[in-house]
Amino acid sequence: MPPRIPCRAHRAACATPAVRCRIRLQRRSASTAASAPEIYDVVCVGGGPAGLSLLAGLKASPVTNGLKVALIDGQDLQKNRLQKDATLDSFSNRCSSLTPASMRNLQEIGVWRHANASRIQPYQEMQVWDGVSDARISFDWDTARSFGPRKPTQPTTIAYMIENVNTVSALLGRLEELGGVDMFASTKVDAIELGTDTEQLDLSSWPVLSLSNGKSLAARLLVGADGANSPVRTFAGIPSRGFDYSRHGVVATLKLSNSGWGGPDHKIAYQRFLPSGPIAMLPMPGNFATLVWSTTPERAAKLKSLSPADFSAMVNAGFRLSLTDLEYLHTLPSGQAEEIAWREKHTPVDERALPVRVTDVQSGSVASFPLRMRHADTYTGERVALVGDAAHTVHPLAGQGLNQGQGDAAALVRTISHAVQTGQDIGSTLALESYNAARYAENNAMMGVCDKLHRLYSVESGPIVGLRSLGLRAVDAMGPLKGFFMNRAAGGV
Amino acid sequence: MLARRASQAPLFASTSTSPSPIRFSSTTSSSAKEPPKSTVDPTEVSHFNALASSWWDPVGPSRLLHLMNPLRHTFISRCRNASPSASPASNLRYLDIGCGGGIFAESAARLAHTASVTAIDPTPEVLKIAEVHKRRDPMIAAPGKLTYINTSIEDLPQPKTPQEGYDIVSLFEVLEHVNAPGPFLEHIMPHVKPGGWLVLSTISRTWTSWLVTNVMAEDVLGIVPKGTHDWAKYVNESELRDWFYGKPGWGELKTMGVMYVPGLGWKEVTGSEGWGNYFFAVRRAE
Repeated sequence: MPPRIPCRAHRAACATPAVRCRIRLQRRSASTAASAPEIYDVVCVGGGPAGLSLLAGLKASPVTNGLKVALIDGQDLQKNRLQKDATLDSFSNRCSSLTPASMRNLQEIGVWRHANASRIQPYQEMQVWDGVSDARISFDWDTARSFGPRKPTQPTTIAYMIENVNTVSALLGRLEELGGVDMFASTKVDAIELGTDTEQLDLSSWPVLSLSNGKSLAARLLVGADGANSPVRTFAGIPSRGFDYSRHGVVATLKLSNSGWGGPDHKIAYQRFLPSGPIAMLPMPGNFATLVWSTTPERAAKLKSLSPADFSAMVNAGFRLSLTDLEYLHTLPSGQAEEIAWREKHTPVDERALPVRVTDVQSGSVASFPLRMRHADTYTGERVALVGDAAHTVHPLAGQGLNQGQGDAAALVRTISHAVQTGQDIGSTLALESYNAARYAENNAMMGVCDKLHRLYSVESGPIVGLRSLGLRAVDAMGPLKGFFMNRAAGGV
Repeated sequence: MLARRASQAPLFASTSTSPSPIRFSSTTSSSAKEPPKSTVDPTEVSHFNALASSWWDPVGPSRLLHLMNPLRHTFISRCRNASPSASPASNLRYLDIGCGGGIFAESAARLAHTASVTAIDPTPEVLKIAEVHKRRDPMIAAPGKLTYINTSIEDLPQPKTPQEGYDIVSLFEVLEHVNAPGPFLEHIMPHVKPGGWLVLSTISRTWTSWLVTNVMAEDVLGIVPKGTHDWAKYVNESELRDWFYGKPGWGELKTMGVMYVPGLGWKEVTGSEGWGNYFFAVRRAE
């Protein structure tokens, strides 16, 4: 949920000289501001999972809980909370696969126990295969053994499926419990300008935010947790580079015929690489699952237009039928269900290797969003740090977007904590250097892997298909190597 | 008045095996009788005047000092925590000698346990920079939190009673710029409150430090401004140690050797106090 914060000044500034010039102009215009701004140590713009996690981390630590912090979000944060009486026969279509590393951090800062546990689904196995060659790799901690017998302390959970609304509610619950955050919800940032140099104080390096409620806040450290189109990033003059994949992600909440082949205690995630993009089904509690189908914008529009019965049939077909069949099915205006029923009779499949059948789709849960890859040139500037989507937007292929944001928040808490302990100005570029160093390379590597996987599996024929299948089968046969990949995916070491 | 103090004070033969002449004076009574004379070298003052404008540039000539600063607090915390009868945990008063542009003084003033910081330096230009920079942070610009005084330690009035001394007296990267370390330290010691710490950092006078600070850092890599270091002025950790062993009422000596590793920053290297940059602390008995 990107907070929508219209920012009247500074759009489209890329070259550094232009930015310098712009900042000087702002300094002059800010000097006309009537009242002195209120001084804050940390002002976080954006109340999404990354921003909230940062604030919870700061307030949960005795080193940093004395900092004066504020949160600004254009939306009413209470509206984004999970209903207290929410039942287990309906799930949000916006879910994330939280890695054990992210989960541990949320545990450490006291957030996890505020989550609605009955709505979280851990999964223990992952089945991934190539839609062209059918080469397959399965991930579970039993086959991914290290050298030697598996220790009982080793984890069995690959990741936790959780609705984003559940994560956000848990974070808000923890922040309420901790207190000490000045919350400006349903409040827009009208402008961000540099402060002024007066007799007593020189705030000319401090970002000063003018809010729609008339308040003005000066930030020792301004955190941009304000989404892919981050106004904070624009203010800081940090360019963000990348491209659109010309793919859309279709999401939906699916109802299945049962709780899956492994039963309720051994849940399995499935992903089939199709040349148009991967189709993934991730387990939710009970007989539910969540769909993420990356495909062309045209096919996404078609899928969204289908009746629940036809849509469900198309998801079943997406995991079962040939590429030729799928291509034809996307051209039909309607009636996919009957067509698929007939075609499936002539396509022999091993049902045990496939997700159980989709029987229905939750009404109103089918949605799509364009897939983008964006990476800011740096995560820090003077008195500015970027976290989450403001810093990077990733292909959702490995489900790493939310985890990267959580990793950013945890790393920024560590950086701020060290700066406080050693008396550094937490907004200085020197103090922030360690945050950029800790996160930039790691995020860049993860984004590179996701991007390359996307490109690798976009190829429909030729030697690449053979090679990638060979690679997949080879990794599948090598337990320790697979364990390494699983550890990486789980956010471990 | 800024005469080379070393020529006046008798040279003291050290027991260390250091290869170069020792300027280290250990006269205790004579310096007290003499009128206060500055141990500051005028050529050092003009050198730091020239560096003043770039003091707070994070990628400027003082970058290595900025990067070292967090370690100073790590070392001070370590000293204070190791002490069985620890000095008070809060409301600490700091005296920072040779504060320069205020890198350490500002950071000490920001700590939660700090009541106030007095920071002195004989170089007027860097103090102007320090004052200007202080106004950029409301936390330390508050009256009484951080006070800069343009003076040498000899001209700073001594506390009327020992209890009016400072909890932490710091002397970072200063000793290697001083002509007569012994008398200089004698002037400083009365400012330390009983139970308080004198904490300093400097560089050993060895062939490695000569190679690293004078040849590599200044001439080859250019990461430290040329003329910053005069190797003959360096003081070895063993010399400091021996000197303080002879001072009644001072003890609990602590050292930490550190090394700058390009790409990684300053790292603690056990044993490197013998041949490179090191921290040194000594506590005044309660």
